[in-house]
Amino acid sequence: MPDPNGLVNLTIDGAPVSVPKGTLVIEAAKQAGILVPHYCYHPGLPVAGVCRMCLVEIEKAPKLQIACATPVTDGMVVHTQSRQARDGRMGVLELLLINHPLDCPICDQAGECELQDFTFQEGRPATRYSPAYAKRFNPVEDFGPDVLFVPNRCILCTRCVRFMEDVAQEPVLNVSERGDRAYIGIHPDARLDHPWAGNVVDLCPVGSLLSKDFLHKARAWELDKTASICTGCSQGCNITLDTRDDVVVRIRPRPNLAVNRYFICDHGRMNYRWMNRGDRSEAPLVRQPDGTARAVDWDEALERAAAILRGAGGAAVALISPRVSTEALFLARELLASFEWTGAYQLVMGEEAPLAGVPDLALRAERAPNARGADLLGYGPDYAAALRAAEQAAVVLVLDDPQAAVRPAGALIYLGTVPPEDGSDPGADGTLRSAELVLPIANVAEEEGTFVNRDGRVQRYVQAKPAPGMAQPAWWVLGALGARLGRGTAPASAAEVFDRLAASVPAFAGLSYANLGLGGRVIGADAGVPA
Amino acid sequence: MAIGVKVLKRPVAQTSYLRATLKGMALTLSHLLRPKVTMQYPEEKSSTDWTISPRWRGTHRMLTDEQGRAKCVACGLCPQICPANCIKLVPGEDEEGNRYPLIYEIDEFRCIFCGYCQEVCPEEAIHVGVHYENSECSRDRFVYDLERLCAQTHPVSTLWDPSDPSGE
Repeated sequence: MPDPNGLVNLTIDGAPVSVPKGTLVIEAAKQAGILVPHYCYHPGLPVAGVCRMCLVEIEKAPKLQIACATPVTDGMVVHTQSRQARDGRMGVLELLLINHPLDCPICDQAGECELQDFTFQEGRPATRYSPAYAKRFNPVEDFGPDVLFVPNRCILCTRCVRFMEDVAQEPVLNVSERGDRAYIGIHPDARLDHPWAGNVVDLCPVGSLLSKDFLHKARAWELDKTASICTGCSQGCNITLDTRDDVVVRIRPRPNLAVNRYFICDHGRMNYRWMNRGDRSEAPLVRQPDGTARAVDWDEALERAAAILRGAGGAAVALISPRVSTEALFLARELLASFEWTGAYQLVMGEEAPLAGVPDLALRAERAPNARGADLLGYGPDYAAALRAAEQAAVVLVLDDPQAAVRPAGALIYLGTVPPEDGSDPGADGTLRSAELVLPIANVAEEEGTFVNRDGRVQRYVQAKPAPGMAQPAWWVLGALGARLGRGTAPASAAEVFDRLAASVPAFAGLSYANLGLGGRVIGADAGVPA
Repeated sequence: MAIGVKVLKRPVAQTSYLRATLKGMALTLSHLLRPKVTMQYPEEKSSTDWTISPRWRGTHRMLTDEQGRAKCVACGLCPQICPANCIKLVPGEDEEGNRYPLIYEIDEFRCIFCGYCQEVCPEEAIHVGVHYENSECSRDRFVYDLERLCAQTHPVSTLWDPSDPSGE
């Protein structure tokens, strides 16, 4: 009986499931909480049905069917764990393992390898091949700037081939040779240097395609995984920061169908080394009358900053980095609200690199994650004008812009993750290095916050590692400073700052950390407020 | 006498210590004639009737391949399984692109000699040893580095009976 909502009703392992027409059995099984083992199937790629791993028993079908290429039909009864289905999959695994080297101890994929997982789950306990059987051997190949191909481990799922062909639309990979001699081949004149080519490493279910950058760096089980947002451009791709002993060692895409689907570009993937910089600002520095800087505790530094802001009047300029969280930008704005303030950011531009197969996904030219957030909070892109205005301003607040070449007449407060980098001598007159105050703040991996991407999607990121020394999140510093100036209590968490932001800025009305979730929400789309 | 004390008269056979002393001396002297069981450790060791079990779990030894290099491929399983967290491992890559341990250190003071490292090792590289003489003159000498682990020559432990691996 057809469902009035256009849904198809079927039964998977005894559980009733209702899914839209055209859904594949493997996806319907996911809704019933059942993961059918699979290799060639990937939700972001076209269906190939080559690995034969996802065999399931469907009643009234003459043979086992592959769940990844069988659309659901009304009244279908699927058994994923029947004797026949398990035997079928066990047979497939046995064949996949004929030529697979058992080099898990030296394989980078070990611990996150789907061949390991599914063999452990339902493979044969022992091989039936004699140790004398000579496994297929091909030497390791260098595919591109960051991709290494180990053909021996390949199970020919062709995810990489389909990614390059249908998603990147630069078909440089294929399956060369036939039968048991088949291997993944690369065009003899080409290299795997597409700006999004790194995704083949994530897509590879085994350790056949490896990232040279991550090679032998850490074992999968040593990594702590933290949800974050890529800071590489204004696209705001969702990522996972993999840390080992509080050092970021890898960035991987985190699926978000509304933003980056399952992919990130290589620019974003490699954009993590600065998070581990050793030469960070670690203590608040206060300028002494003789021009030297002295490290002090936060109490003294904040008192000094509050005294500067209390005593000054007139114009104020904020020079900000578009990598700073929306929370910090909001609090900086509140702090300068009693002045005639202007704020500007400097946007680094690069080359745009779209991913052809996914609409609205590209490495964007604006190489900063939160320019849109800065726009919404009243900061502008006219950096040169702001620099000129800073020369006359009573107070200049520089927020994580270590290269700001500013020569203010008034007081200069610098909040930065790294020491000033304007290249001039320490203490030279009128540069960032002569700032009254240098306050150390946490970087994106060390704090919680939100970014607003180019489409107005507010997305949260989460703390992955501790900040060095005395560094504190920018929202903490600015919030504590505001409290000292008598503007309410200091916020206790980034969530509280965001609630204040939502209450006072109409564009963010109705949003909170709870309803943003980890997928984010587009401003205006739900609250009825124009973005 | 202020306090009345009753003095008993006993036969000499009961009050003399001579008999008991002679009995004791006889026992002592009989031991002189028995075979000696004391081992003059450390001058004399490994007497035939005094060997340690092949399943003894003592300080570690790293086995080496034909070229004398450690068999370890730095897979990271032993630091992971180690309940005492006494193994430090930093992986590296040699000129041929092979994984090998750049740093491999075992803190023998921290080790609880459970033998999990040997059990988990897929390359049969790290072993606990049938060995018990570990005296050193300083504490830091008990952190064995890779070179020292490879240089050990004592026999390695057989954690289970090879003919009956599941202990049935």
